[in-house]
Amino acid sequence: MDEREILDHLPKVKAPDAIWTSIEAALNDHRSPARRPWLWAFASVAVLALLAVGYWSVRHRAGEWIETDSKSRTTLRIGEIGFVEIEPGTRVRVVTEQPGEHRLALAHGEIRATISAPPKLFFVDTASGTAIDLGCEYTLSDDELGLGLLHVTKGWVSFQWKGLESLVPAGASCRTHPKIGPGIPYFDDASQRLKDALENLGVEKSAEDPLEVILAEARVRDTLTLWHLLQRVPVGDRARVYDRIAFLTPVPDGVSREKALKLDPETLRLWKDELAWKW
Amino acid sequence: MMNFRIGIAAFALAAAWAHPPGFSFTIGNPVASQDFHFKTAAFVFRTESCADPAKAQISATAEGIVKGARQSVALKVMAASKPGVYAVTQSWPAEGDWVVSLRGTCGSASAGAIVPMGPKGLIRESLEFFARPATDAEIDASLKALGASK
Amino acid sequence: MVDLIDRQISAEIVIACRSGDRDAFRSLYDLYKDRVYSIALYFLHGDQAAASDVTQQVFLKLMTSIGDFRGDAEFSTWLYRLVVNACMDAGRRRKSDAVTTDRSHLEMLAGPASQEQDYARAQMANSVRAAVSALPPKFRIAVLLRYFDDLSYEQMAKALHCSMGTVASRLSRGHRMLADRLKGLKYG
Repeated sequence: MDEREILDHLPKVKAPDAIWTSIEAALNDHRSPARRPWLWAFASVAVLALLAVGYWSVRHRAGEWIETDSKSRTTLRIGEIGFVEIEPGTRVRVVTEQPGEHRLALAHGEIRATISAPPKLFFVDTASGTAIDLGCEYTLSDDELGLGLLHVTKGWVSFQWKGLESLVPAGASCRTHPKIGPGIPYFDDASQRLKDALENLGVEKSAEDPLEVILAEARVRDTLTLWHLLQRVPVGDRARVYDRIAFLTPVPDGVSREKALKLDPETLRLWKDELAWKW
Repeated sequence: MMNFRIGIAAFALAAAWAHPPGFSFTIGNPVASQDFHFKTAAFVFRTESCADPAKAQISATAEGIVKGARQSVALKVMAASKPGVYAVTQSWPAEGDWVVSLRGTCGSASAGAIVPMGPKGLIRESLEFFARPATDAEIDASLKALGASK
Repeated sequence: MVDLIDRQISAEIVIACRSGDRDAFRSLYDLYKDRVYSIALYFLHGDQAAASDVTQQVFLKLMTSIGDFRGDAEFSTWLYRLVVNACMDAGRRRKSDAVTTDRSHLEMLAGPASQEQDYARAQMANSVRAAVSALPPKFRIAVLLRYFDDLSYEQMAKALHCSMGTVASRLSRGHRMLADRLKGLKYG
């Protein structure tokens, strides 16, 4: 993007007429500071907006804690890139408030983030890891024990903890656990059996093999779950997961079974980008 | 287990039929574009088997029935930063039944698709693909099926 | 009413302003108000109230101190020095505010948001504005002066109280930061 293209996106904005009225008033009565009739115009609009929206979005300073009681909610403005609605019973801290990084820490409760910006400008730290905005709208909740749920309504969110990453697209959710990090994401319209089996993964005394249930229940769209599962199951189970994905949807050029089973990062990325057309 | 395998075979056949070889479209939800600009798009799509996507001619119209009256809305097709990937945003009324008809040419090849739209976005299982633009009759039939499915 | 052609501010107009000629002052205001307001608006992250305040301050200062304008520099250079000072002061005040209550938003800039029918283009514009907004103040003001009035390096150096080399460096680094931030963004 060159200078000319940038300039095209910064059009000259007409100065409000009220400024001249204000200047003229100041010149007439030589009072300082001058009366600012435009301020009344802005105030009127703001009051109307307040009445219409029902709350006031505010900007907070880094280090500040925000806490809502069981009946109140508030909205936090995130620089120029969006806002976060803070639901009742929530405690959240503003960690960083800079143009290049906006970071909150969610102690407990629920927040709804609406961000319109290039990826990786907005972060939310929780007891289970960090939600990284990839251009999205999402809800993130964390209880007092740090067990959380991420639900994405638009775009993508990456949830990371110590090198473990779950990529959650719109329409999907992901449970998060302290000292374990993000769980395996699943689409909200996946079968209940699949969701239950995800909860039971790693639980030794399950009545049936959770992996078997997940593979059997998975639809084409659930390759989201399977793609993550491939990277989390024991090495010996990877082939089962790979084969199930390959059954559900053609393996694209550039993705080989051998590389996929070795969890080659470039192969997995390529496969994920292709699978996303089914998600 | 047998039903499971039959289901897979049927799906594989359906998938093969749904994407004829040659110039065609692949349709996806907005997340498929990997482009945050399109997170609120109705859906995204890409061209397949087009040697020079930059020269492909793509257009789209929303075709609908609102209170019994047939309506047609020309749509703006937006190109993503990735060549051959496009997005369509909803600029048709929320009321009524609507499908989006995609048309494209790449050199001498043509392609078409009918994308039925539901309250939660595209209805993937009802997508229809053609090696030419969809005809009015095909669009009407798709709209009729969409209305009947409610 | 005084007719002004392009940016030629005649000595007569300055003299008229010094003598309190309101029409002459209004002509000056009309010629520059949108540029001053736009620079302030983009500099102050789309805050319309703050940009209006800066615009008012600049022109009041201009009117009350036009007697100091010696005419050995171009009028626009002198004016933009006032703009730079007012913007930087307002930026510092804004930063020190614990809580601001404006709901103004770069995306809400009246013209662009409502008139750009093209969704992708609107999104792109928002990205550009956000990227400009994210520049450190010294780079941001340099880029905006360059974009909105195409000032020469010499004029910018006078307005920014720095050397031409510093101007060149700030513009170069500012554009590089913008390019990095906007890398890969494109609309069709």
